[in-house]
Amino acid sequence: MKKILSGVGVALCTLTMATSMQAQAADSPIKGNIRVVIGSSSTGGDTYQASSIIADALSEKLGANFKVDAVGVTAAFRALERVSNGSTIMVFHDQAYLGNLYGQKGYDDPFEKYTVGQTFAINPGNAYLVAKNSPYKSVQDVIDAAGSGKTVRVAIQPGGVSEIGYTAMKNAVRLQYPGMEDNLAPLNTGSQSDKNQAMFDGLADVINGSVQANEQYTRLPADDQKAMSFLWLTAREGTVKQANPEGMGGTSRDDLMKFVAPMVSVPMDESKNFTFDKEFFFIYNKETDPKIIAAMDVALEEIFKEGKVQETMKKSFFIPDFLPSNESQQYLMNKRDQYAKIIESLKK
Amino acid sequence: MEFLALLSPEFFLLSAAGCLIGIIFGAIPGMTATMAVAVCLPLTYSLGLHEGLALLLGLYVGGISGGLVPAILLNIPGTPSSITTTFDGHPMAKAGEPEKALKICIVASLVGGLFSAVVLFFFAPMLADFAIKFSYIEKFLIIFFALTVIASLSKNILAGIFSGLLGVLLALIGTYDTSNGGNGEYRLMFDFMVPYLETGFSLLPVLIGLFGLATIFEEAEKGIKEEDTHSQIKLKGHKPFHFGVFKGQISNLIRSSSIGTFVGMLPGIGGSAASVLAYSQQKNLSKNPEKMGKGAAEGMVASESANNALTGGALIPLLSLGIPGDSTTAVLIGAFTLQGLQVGPLFIGEHMDTWYSMMAALLFANFVMFGAMFFAIRYIAKVVMVPKYILYPIIIMMCVIGAYAINYGIMFDVWTLLIFGLFGWLAGKIGIEVAPLVIGFILGGSAEVYFVKSIESYGTLSIFFTKSPIAVVLWLLILASVVFSILMHRKNKRLANQVEEANA
Repeated sequence: MKKILSGVGVALCTLTMATSMQAQAADSPIKGNIRVVIGSSSTGGDTYQASSIIADALSEKLGANFKVDAVGVTAAFRALERVSNGSTIMVFHDQAYLGNLYGQKGYDDPFEKYTVGQTFAINPGNAYLVAKNSPYKSVQDVIDAAGSGKTVRVAIQPGGVSEIGYTAMKNAVRLQYPGMEDNLAPLNTGSQSDKNQAMFDGLADVINGSVQANEQYTRLPADDQKAMSFLWLTAREGTVKQANPEGMGGTSRDDLMKFVAPMVSVPMDESKNFTFDKEFFFIYNKETDPKIIAAMDVALEEIFKEGKVQETMKKSFFIPDFLPSNESQQYLMNKRDQYAKIIESLKK
Repeated sequence: MEFLALLSPEFFLLSAAGCLIGIIFGAIPGMTATMAVAVCLPLTYSLGLHEGLALLLGLYVGGISGGLVPAILLNIPGTPSSITTTFDGHPMAKAGEPEKALKICIVASLVGGLFSAVVLFFFAPMLADFAIKFSYIEKFLIIFFALTVIASLSKNILAGIFSGLLGVLLALIGTYDTSNGGNGEYRLMFDFMVPYLETGFSLLPVLIGLFGLATIFEEAEKGIKEEDTHSQIKLKGHKPFHFGVFKGQISNLIRSSSIGTFVGMLPGIGGSAASVLAYSQQKNLSKNPEKMGKGAAEGMVASESANNALTGGALIPLLSLGIPGDSTTAVLIGAFTLQGLQVGPLFIGEHMDTWYSMMAALLFANFVMFGAMFFAIRYIAKVVMVPKYILYPIIIMMCVIGAYAINYGIMFDVWTLLIFGLFGWLAGKIGIEVAPLVIGFILGGSAEVYFVKSIESYGTLSIFFTKSPIAVVLWLLILASVVFSILMHRKNKRLANQVEEANA
């Protein structure tokens, strides 16, 4: 009961603080209820988690009520199209432009149709895994197998973050064994559960997954049908280095570093390894008042200066990554162009 | 036993509050357990993991159970999984025994809920290992098995199969979603329909339209006079509810609860399949199958024990594999991620306290559900006494609000409600059977995905027969179900002929 009472107390205090902050923020163009639609319909995924962390911080900072709504990509873009006054904003990750690059239905060019805003976090957990008793112990094993004419099946969800690493591996096969890249065959599956199941059924040799969803599977004994091993984490070395030393679950950061470039090499061209950081950013309606976006820049800058949000993010295995809107747009466009080249080169 | 320290009064208070709110959500057509959990999910931030989970599990149990109220009293399934409850629950309520119908369902719900909680507690990791033996092939066969209920539900077997297939076809309208492993292409629609039907027709507006609105249109066609008291249901003069009604239902309860738990633990099958499967198996094995669909207690027992058994079942893969078993547990997983906690194959062993406290919350919520509903029922049951000219406008209003709210404010869902309301009203006139159509619609999407994925993965049709011993067993069950249905139809026909001859 005490907890509930103290909870009510905290809520009242927050309300009082919020009221006073609202008074302070009377001039702020960001007021009242802000609906944060996200491009995922899952409340168990990283998009919801990252958005909730930043929405909480923004609510506290601005005295407004930011509420995350897991509506999924189509509904999120629709909601954003309808509302330009800043009361609906969107949070998504690189899928926003990758979906467009892969020609997925429902994905317009976000840089053209919307205003791409601030980046705020990276999930360094995007991973590729094999069964623990798999003959493939490294990405190079996979590349060599495909190069020698063996079909290697990779379970992915087509058209986005899940596919980009597969595209990179295929590109690596093409560079090392020209003409053999089609031996790396995609197995189009849906959710993480489908990808895991494809491995259990022996339908997939490699699956896309994440540190968060699959780490426990990598700690199972090898004789367990469910046991998996990490093959590759797509994030940059510098990104994973920023994670807490304890890493995730029972796997430390140092253990995870063994699966990151340059320890794992997936060549993008003769001189460079492919890496991919899954970054989360805001997206606004094209007509949204620039003052609102500028106010968000200021609010986020202050939030990141205070440093509390970084701690919360790191606790949940996110890497803080704030860039104000003017920098993030250029940065994300460059990132998009880089991946567009690889995707284009594999098109026939 | 450190977990005992976690079981504070507020833990139980939150679980009970969650359960009561869940019942209300479940009882309003269009609002579901999933929605209730999604709405309250951010609260887990401030409440902490264990208290938050107590609240969410209460909402889950309450939300699943609440669906039986409108199913029985209004013939509208409050949640998709209570669709089979309408088949017998509403006829019994219409016959003047709504209280009895509600109580039968509540007791069955409690048994189903407790059964699955016990199974979850003792066998979760073992069953999770069994669940992963079900590949696309076996999952397709389970859906196919559930679809065989169409044969036993139909009044006319050919018209029933046609209606069922029409339902499947309607379910396929929309995008072949990449999140199901599809190609992201639009199907079965013209370009101008894309903005509305990109994600297909939403399930609940379709259900509420076909069941709720269509019935109201039929009544409106007949016309209701204000002073008409003959059509009103009389509550007096019937035998009150007695636990004796469960005599002979023990095997039904165990079978249906097992089916519910089992279907719940298979990710991707969907909750509605559980009650549909349990209902059809009861009909196949019943001594009086002709009475089912006309207010038989055994139909309600099968449906409700199965859909409540889903709760424990769907938590099995969530807590043993980190994979949600149904749409509500898919939201529930957010409570763990918000706290930065991984669920996966090692979760139970590494978080024994959380595991025990979840079990305590689940069991407690089931008893709260039973207590709250069983004793409030005599008041709720009086809904059927409200004159139709007052009741129906209220139902329409609730249906519209529910349809608008289901996807957080999409107006096309309200149009879907109206389209399917009109369709349901017209369907009866041209011989299309609504119940098989709805079953086809509910199961069609998953049937397609698993069928296509099976073919894509194995490249041959024969794999459906040769994949595994589980597949062979499922084929035998499918065959038995179809044969039972055909025999039942023949028997009914013979009886009808005999009655006709005797009359002549």
